[in-house]
Amino acid sequence: MSVAPAVDRPSRAEPARSAPPRRRGGGRGGYLVFLIPGALLLLAVVIVPFAMNVGISFTRWSGVGDPVWIGFENYAKLFADSAFWASFRHNVGLIVAMAILPTTAGLIVAAALFDFVGKRFGPRAASVLRACVYLPQVLPIAVAGIVWSWILAPQGGALNAFLDAVGLGALAQDWLGNPDIALYSVMGVLAWIQLGYPVVIFMAGMQRVDPALLEAAELDGASWWGRFWHVTVPGIRPEVFVVLLTCSIAALKVFGPIYVLTRGGPAGATNVPSYFSFQNFFERTRVGYGAAIATVLTVLILLLTAFFLRVQNRREDG
Amino acid sequence: MSTRVFAALVVALLTVSGCGGSSGDSDPKTLKLWHYEGPDSAMGKAWDAAIAKFEEKHPGVKVAFEEKGFEQIQKTAPMVLNSNEAPDILEYNKGNATTGLLSKQGLLADLSEQVASRGWDKLMAPNLKTTSQYDDRGVMGSGKWFGIPNYAEYVTVYYNKDMFAARGIAVPKTLAEFTAAMDAFVAAGVTPLAVGGGEYPAQQVLYQLALSKADRAWVDRYQRYTGDVDFHDAAWTYGATTFADWVAKKYISPESSGVKAEDMGLSFIQGKFPIMVSGSWWQGRMTAGIKDFQWGSFLWPGNKLNAGSSGNQWVVPAGSKNKDLAYDFIDITLSPEIQDVLRAAGGIPISTGGTPSTDPAAKALNDDFDTLAGNDGLAYYPDWPAPGYYDVMVSATQKLITGTASPSQVLDELAKPYAENRANIGG
Repeated sequence: MSVAPAVDRPSRAEPARSAPPRRRGGGRGGYLVFLIPGALLLLAVVIVPFAMNVGISFTRWSGVGDPVWIGFENYAKLFADSAFWASFRHNVGLIVAMAILPTTAGLIVAAALFDFVGKRFGPRAASVLRACVYLPQVLPIAVAGIVWSWILAPQGGALNAFLDAVGLGALAQDWLGNPDIALYSVMGVLAWIQLGYPVVIFMAGMQRVDPALLEAAELDGASWWGRFWHVTVPGIRPEVFVVLLTCSIAALKVFGPIYVLTRGGPAGATNVPSYFSFQNFFERTRVGYGAAIATVLTVLILLLTAFFLRVQNRREDG
Repeated sequence: MSTRVFAALVVALLTVSGCGGSSGDSDPKTLKLWHYEGPDSAMGKAWDAAIAKFEEKHPGVKVAFEEKGFEQIQKTAPMVLNSNEAPDILEYNKGNATTGLLSKQGLLADLSEQVASRGWDKLMAPNLKTTSQYDDRGVMGSGKWFGIPNYAEYVTVYYNKDMFAARGIAVPKTLAEFTAAMDAFVAAGVTPLAVGGGEYPAQQVLYQLALSKADRAWVDRYQRYTGDVDFHDAAWTYGATTFADWVAKKYISPESSGVKAEDMGLSFIQGKFPIMVSGSWWQGRMTAGIKDFQWGSFLWPGNKLNAGSSGNQWVVPAGSKNKDLAYDFIDITLSPEIQDVLRAAGGIPISTGGTPSTDPAAKALNDDFDTLAGNDGLAYYPDWPAPGYYDVMVSATQKLITGTASPSQVLDELAKPYAENRANIGG
């Protein structure tokens, strides 16, 4: 910090206009008051329930009466539970469907809307199409899930009827009832739901990319693909990270679509940790075990978040 | 942080955490009632009539009825009954995993005294009482009364009379005739059984098959923990292998594994299947929904034992401040007048006698129930023994439908959670 020359310093009689007004109480602690509402909510809605959940995970409890302390028994049982590991394997598929696929497809769709539709047909056309792609995000999952279960129904479902109509009846399947393909069907529905989110974020990010860079690249003879890959994508890297992080967390937490579409079936083929936890909490009245699943899931999400943020910070620092 | 800020934080935290005064104060002029029967169902109609009758008999007392969802009550009852927000009376599911669990935790009022003084136990057939009484472990069949049913239900065979007549098939009287009828449909390219593998219906078919080789002691061992259960015994083995065989013979479509109960019912109502094995609770839907063909029901052929029980029951939370009003309300729902409303609307009343229904389909349903109850034939439902066993059963039958597990593997899958639950309750 440079020191101002003496002549510029204000005299005692004439306080500088730029001098900050004195605050009662002094110090930065005064601002803490403004953090109280948020801190209280965080404490009451997140931290205290999570701490209670961790506590419950060390007990055997049916949800009523007195919990019985059993230490790490729930965790030992959990790590030996094949259904628990299967639910995490399914979650990997859902991360592909909810994070990787929509991010990849979202980049392409956003670029097409921004560079091609927006420039050729005007920004309004791009906005309308963007809204159409975003619509599944706005639909209540209960509605979307029921509509999709009709579409995918084995008898009288729209998808099988369409395949029949175009002469591909041999490809008709029991999309949600066959354990070999149910997870892929759910992944398809989730990718459809999720696509709009990265498209909107990436299109907003693309407006930040300096047109001069793209122009210079074009003058240097770079193809559209070259400009997109070497200028646009690096330009919206923060958005890509945010989308990947939030979508991965959403995939790990996914519950609604599974509840509406398959209830974890057929025969556990689409079960995921959040639904598995729910089943133990409310249907099997094994609250301690359900709490252990929820704790493991939370820790995993925190680790994933820390990893993403670290990678992002490194890239920014580098 | 200053003291003032800290104090504000503590006060606010206590407020947010809900450590303030309770809002669940009871009002002696109001009976707070929860149930989850649809307004068009037989029970819904009967209980509307009971509410009107109650208010007429108790001038100045208002019934504050809150319609809840089955799932809503199922999932939250233990927590709600533990709070100040509990109603004075509510409808709740019967069985070890539900009423049994709540009774064991001391959340329900003991109704034994009322049962004796008001004679409620005289109104119902002996094995309808099983689901009302629970011992200290929360196991049904003996001990104190914690729930009072006022209707009954059982699994029956709904059939499309027109489709049967078109192929000259008579109502089967034995399991062999039943399978012969299904063979005739398969030969004509028709899948005979509408099945919902995604929910409860498929497991009821499996249970009916197992019951065909079972006796009352077998049911008691399985449902009431009166002895060890061998999931590879003759009855379970027959049930699982025959179910798989029925899939192989195309009586059951392999595409039914993900079908919900509602879609199964609709497919039968739309005339897509000739037969549907499911609960008597479908009767009202059939009556209202089937316009294009003749239909009827018959008892699962050849079984002495059949899935069925008392219906869901009234329970009174231990914390209810208006217990006497709640008991009066239960009394009214059991009165001949209200039971007749239930019967006329297509339900199965719990008390014998009363005015027979003029609708032949409803009369047949009630007559079949009387046959079952008279023969001590009600064997409850397959998912009752353990909390969460419903999902286990759904998953197991889905594996039989899709062929992803052998009958023996499926039976192993049923055995494990059952044994765990037995160990937990010390049964």
